Amino acid sequence: MLLFENKEQKLLNLLKFTGSPFKKFVSTGEIEEDIGLVQSRQEFLHSIINILNKNENIIIPVIGDVGTGKTHLYWALKHELYYFNFVYISLENVVKRFYYNTYSEFIENMGIEVIRNISRTLCNKWGALERKFGFFHLAEMKKVKKAACEEWAPLFENEESIMDVINAITAHQLDPYKKIEVERWFLGEVLDIRELSRLNLKHDLREKKNAYTMLKVLVENAMVNSVLFIDDFEKIISMMRPIPIEEQTEEVFDRSWLYGSKESPEKNAANKVLDKIVQLNKINGLRIVITLKSTDFYKDIMRKIEDIDSNLLKLVNDPIILSNFIQDDIFTFYKKNLEFFFGHLNYFEYFRDFSQSYYPLNEKVLNYIFTRTNGNPREIIKFLIKIFNDITLSNENLEDILKEYH
Amino acid sequence: MNKSASFVLYDSLKKIRINGEFKGSIISKCQDKIIFSDNIKISDSDGIIISGGLLTGFEKKEKIVCPISKNSDFKWNIKDIPLEYSVIIPEDTMEQYDHGQFSNEFPYTINLLHTACLLLNDPKYNLNHLDFFKGEILKNPIAMIRNGIIVADRVVIDDNGDPVFYDCLIIGRDKNEDIKISYEPIINVDDEVMEFIIILGIEELKI
Repeated sequence: MLLFENKEQKLLNLLKFTGSPFKKFVSTGEIEEDIGLVQSRQEFLHSIINILNKNENIIIPVIGDVGTGKTHLYWALKHELYYFNFVYISLENVVKRFYYNTYSEFIENMGIEVIRNISRTLCNKWGALERKFGFFHLAEMKKVKKAACEEWAPLFENEESIMDVINAITAHQLDPYKKIEVERWFLGEVLDIRELSRLNLKHDLREKKNAYTMLKVLVENAMVNSVLFIDDFEKIISMMRPIPIEEQTEEVFDRSWLYGSKESPEKNAANKVLDKIVQLNKINGLRIVITLKSTDFYKDIMRKIEDIDSNLLKLVNDPIILSNFIQDDIFTFYKKNLEFFFGHLNYFEYFRDFSQSYYPLNEKVLNYIFTRTNGNPREIIKFLIKIFNDITLSNENLEDILKEYH
Repeated sequence: MNKSASFVLYDSLKKIRINGEFKGSIISKCQDKIIFSDNIKISDSDGIIISGGLLTGFEKKEKIVCPISKNSDFKWNIKDIPLEYSVIIPEDTMEQYDHGQFSNEFPYTINLLHTACLLLNDPKYNLNHLDFFKGEILKNPIAMIRNGIIVADRVVIDDNGDPVFYDCLIIGRDKNEDIKISYEPIINVDDEVMEFIIILGIEELKI
């Protein structure tokens, strides 16, 4: 029978064996975050959810300093709004081929089955399932295409791209021999001219108008509503600003020969991306959340949007400020992380033996971290990584390690 | 006339006749032929009127027998109706039938352009092309069995040379001679009991 067990030493030994519970201090759109938001941010989260639920087309700017948890907010929203199709893009990555990349993210998020359903529903709506003599479905492609054109012509601006999309959808449903190739087109694969002509299509989805039209079709006809989370939105403004001389690279030709002397190519690209993002508002039911690092960026963006179309300002919600942790948050954040970590290891004794304690750290250390970091979540995580690395990797005893952090 | 199940519009055997104008998926058995239509009008004054129906069966001219599917209008006086029965397929059964059609997902189905005979169990003509189509999937088969009709989305001829119908509507009489309708996703029938199987031509459906 076990009479005595040093539970604290056991926990330390386990940590030395498994490594630190705190490993990464930057959240990304690719790697899922399982831990929810701290208590003080719950209200903030619900205010965003309310706005998203109440509005069909809206842009919500979220302003937060570096490391305050804007990207982590995406994961919290995605988990909470499971009944929405929540898609993340970072402007750092998708400045080029904006619509194509955004569409690809949507497809990756929703899956091909959604496109198949949309294609089936649309074709049925256009009369593909009409029963001749009460029984027989005849694929009268011309008739279906005509019905599609009549319905969509007033809704879409670009005739060429809408014809490509209608041709693709009708071929997908009514021509079984082309179905697989059309699915490749839907998935955004690069098709050569021969494949395109066989499908009676002019361009693949690298053509921006086609990608935009497909995105509109996808969002407006999907069973669930969509939210696009655009991270690092200030990238547009930073691209528009002139590059300081010390950061400029040496160039062997004068760029004004190619791009003109009025605007730098970066500014030109930034303007184009902003135009494209503004166009997204024409997609019914697409809600957009943008993140910005400061209110200065927000003001600059508003000015740019006003220059494009002042009516669009009505769609932009008042900015929501994401502030640093309050003092209580560091305790709940720390506990949540450890509980998640030990829960994943199936070490459920932690919940029983340490439910009231912050072991291996203590309140004093956590308060010290909070004061040193001003409550910035990323800085807090960096501190925790350092302490836990010391605990798991060094041979010093715990008290000596924690002395540094008092 | 007797009371009947709501889908039976006319039954000469049970003396059922429901007057009215009906729209939907209607199958009428007329001697050894079948009429598919999306409408039927039954009244005491005008008799039975089917407009734009598809008549399918065989035309026999001396030594030649030819499968047909003709689009035409039909009108019979009340005293001189050659129909055995007319039934309207319930919408929920038709929905099942629609869902079962997977031709769009499955590209290797043979669509015949013109209506053709797959099997005719008639000692005089005896046509049997089942072996020729062994292992193939044929779209739009219509079969008449001793006591009923099978309308299926597709038929496959199995290794024994027997037809296997997929996604089928079955119309037949039970032991009390009452008309019954059922939906079966798959049904295997011995070719011995078949009267005929016709494959409807897609071009003739379009006319």
